[in-house]
Amino acid sequence: MRMTQSFSPGVDIPVMALDRIVLMANQIGDFFAPYPPERRAEGIRNHLRTYWDPRMRAELLALIETGGAGLAPHVVEGAKLLLNETHSKPGYYGPPKA
Amino acid sequence: MPNPLKPEKSVVTTCAYCGVGCGFKAETRAGKIVRMTPWKEGKANHGHSCIKGRFAYDYYIAPDRVRTPLIRASIDDPWKPASWQEAFDYAASAFRRIQAKYGVKSVGAVSSSRCTNEEIFLVQKFARAVLGNNNIDNCARICHSPTQFGLTNTIGAGAASQHFDSILQADVIMVVGANPTEGHPVFGSLMKRRIRQGAKLIVIDPRKTETVESAHCKADVHLAIRPGTNVAILDSIAHVVVREKLYNEEFVRARCEVKEFENWKALVGSNKYAPEIIGPIAGVDSEDIRKAARIYASGPNSAIYYGLGVTEHSQGSTGVMCLGNLGLSCGMLGREGVGVNPLRGQGNVQGGSCLGSWPHVFSGYRFVTDYATRSSFEAEWGVTLDAEPGLRLPNMLDAAVAGSFKGMYIMGEDPVQSDPNQHHVITAMKNMECVVLHDLFLNETSKYAHIFFPGSSSLEKDGTFTNAERRVSRVRKVIEPLAGLQDWEITVKLMNAMGYNVAYNNPGEVLDEIARLSPNYRGISFALIDRVGSAQWPCNEDAPEGTEVLHIGKFPRANGLGAFMLTEYVPTAERTNDKYPLLLTTGRILSQYNVGTQTRRTPNSMWHPEDVLEINEQDAMARGLKSGDWVKLSSRFGQTELRAKISERVNPGVVYTTFHHAKSKANAVTSDLSDWATNCPEYKVTAVDVVRTNGRAAASVQEAERPRIEELEPVECA
Repeated sequence: MRMTQSFSPGVDIPVMALDRIVLMANQIGDFFAPYPPERRAEGIRNHLRTYWDPRMRAELLALIETGGAGLAPHVVEGAKLLLNETHSKPGYYGPPKA
Repeated sequence: MPNPLKPEKSVVTTCAYCGVGCGFKAETRAGKIVRMTPWKEGKANHGHSCIKGRFAYDYYIAPDRVRTPLIRASIDDPWKPASWQEAFDYAASAFRRIQAKYGVKSVGAVSSSRCTNEEIFLVQKFARAVLGNNNIDNCARICHSPTQFGLTNTIGAGAASQHFDSILQADVIMVVGANPTEGHPVFGSLMKRRIRQGAKLIVIDPRKTETVESAHCKADVHLAIRPGTNVAILDSIAHVVVREKLYNEEFVRARCEVKEFENWKALVGSNKYAPEIIGPIAGVDSEDIRKAARIYASGPNSAIYYGLGVTEHSQGSTGVMCLGNLGLSCGMLGREGVGVNPLRGQGNVQGGSCLGSWPHVFSGYRFVTDYATRSSFEAEWGVTLDAEPGLRLPNMLDAAVAGSFKGMYIMGEDPVQSDPNQHHVITAMKNMECVVLHDLFLNETSKYAHIFFPGSSSLEKDGTFTNAERRVSRVRKVIEPLAGLQDWEITVKLMNAMGYNVAYNNPGEVLDEIARLSPNYRGISFALIDRVGSAQWPCNEDAPEGTEVLHIGKFPRANGLGAFMLTEYVPTAERTNDKYPLLLTTGRILSQYNVGTQTRRTPNSMWHPEDVLEINEQDAMARGLKSGDWVKLSSRFGQTELRAKISERVNPGVVYTTFHHAKSKANAVTSDLSDWATNCPEYKVTAVDVVRTNGRAAASVQEAERPRIEELEPVECA
């Protein structure tokens, strides 16, 4: 018998402290910084998409919507690609594919 | 009188300590272990052993071993013994109540590299199929998660490229952030054998370890770097390889993505990574950097072995990529005698990594976001699975502190003692409404648990371990489980209590399920291992008895080519200052094992009754310290007290300790910074200060910690 499960969202509180989210996002940005802008943004997007719990991504995007305080500009650029549905390609390992 | 040590029965099994995974014959008399004899046919150890596997087995009958399930409503209440069924029902109703109140994702699970492949696989199945989310992690998170990330990104497989015996073909051995003579002693002996035959040795480590210089072992170059500068030094070695054109162009053109190689050359070849610039930053002689690069690149066979001194940094994953890049650039992959090899800490870290005990991947490192992979698991398990990555262990703790994460099933782990920034971990634990702990002993984490499942030691259960060379070996039940159930049975019964119907007659059937769902394990079964002794993955139609050396001809990436990653050095945010002028780094000693849960309960503790703080004479003099003095070790995160030992093994500015004793509280001091890619904690770099203290409180604690040997005599089994 096939069991079905619903993925109801949790109660409406942030999944974790915002300063942790900002710190982690900027660290990811530091790694991809040496790549040219387009690849840098794509590398950040792929990492956030494949490694971060969606609630962590939502918290990051909510911060960006309100100005993105504390985030490096190229991190904002990469994270914003998450909003673009055409970018919902499969996760991958290796250098950023832009 | 008959000889009380004369065994009546002998069972071949695998050592439960480090990632070497030695084969042993466990010999019993009247249902008790009387002797562990190294197994001559064992392919990882060839009849050798160290003092942990050989002698430190009595922990299984330690007087404080828990033999009945325990429950309590609140962590302030005393524990109450319960029946197994009461404990399962209690856990199941608590998890379901929490999920109903706070959402499906408010609970999660953590498995352990001390457990078998089958148990690790079942715990992730519990999280994904029963809890209905991907909040599943394992303790490799805090040791080798950067290995999986860094190696998969460069050479395509998050595992050692070689078998251990490959080192006997190596002309150059480069050891980075590892101390195999202490941490992986049987492999360390193999390494020494090759060094005696003339192989050159390069060691990169802040400390003058036993691998740098001890009997039969002397490094040709020791780069005693300042903690936290791995990436700088490895980029500088790469700089010399690039600028002096020491790379293997033929290999790179045939086997790698050439465009990425050119990008990498431009980055590491830039002036900022010149040894003359990096030398002073890393605290080493620039000429030694050049020497190391020239020795490594000239091989002809150069092999890299590395440990947690690479991974446990805020740039841990970047450091691993540096090693992958270096191996690719010099063509040191794809044959015997070369390679890039992680030395795994625990017996089954490789298995923990392979078998999908991660929030973002199924077994074989395949993303949960991938529809085809997910569908194969859904078909086998009969449930719809979460298509999004879950929380990693540090994220679960962060989420518990924030109030969004409320329950956890912890198998064979002690996050309160093992994880960094202890204060933060305790806050997280106290915030949870149900913590189910599954272990042999009431460890530090048990203080914050509501339900305790008494587990079985590796002498009491069947299954497999995968060692650091990808070798899958059998763990065989030698004696009956002291609390009545094998660990895999406990997890299955918890799944059943939560309404998920699944049954296995034995863990061999779990391994068969692993084989059906995991390409690298496709050919592995109890029957195969019983027939051939052990087998290294990949084991499949093409390699029915397994594979010793990876990357021959092509890399396991979509295009078959190795990829260079750009590895810019980003200094850690953890810096010394006037208040905390020294850098603390940590390591292990031969006779003890990790947080000491097992070894501290055996007479092995006679060799290492307490953790001490190694400090250079210059720093000691400035603080009026002599060996044996009690000192307060403090950081921005907390403090602890230890005895000082003046040592030439550490440079001025660096102090070092082991973390084998809970009362030493090394993790009260360590920082909460972590690897950018995997959140692996930065245990290896913490800014600290050391001051002399009378240490009376700590002294009494340390005394109490010493095992009383008379208590370790065999006791009656329940």
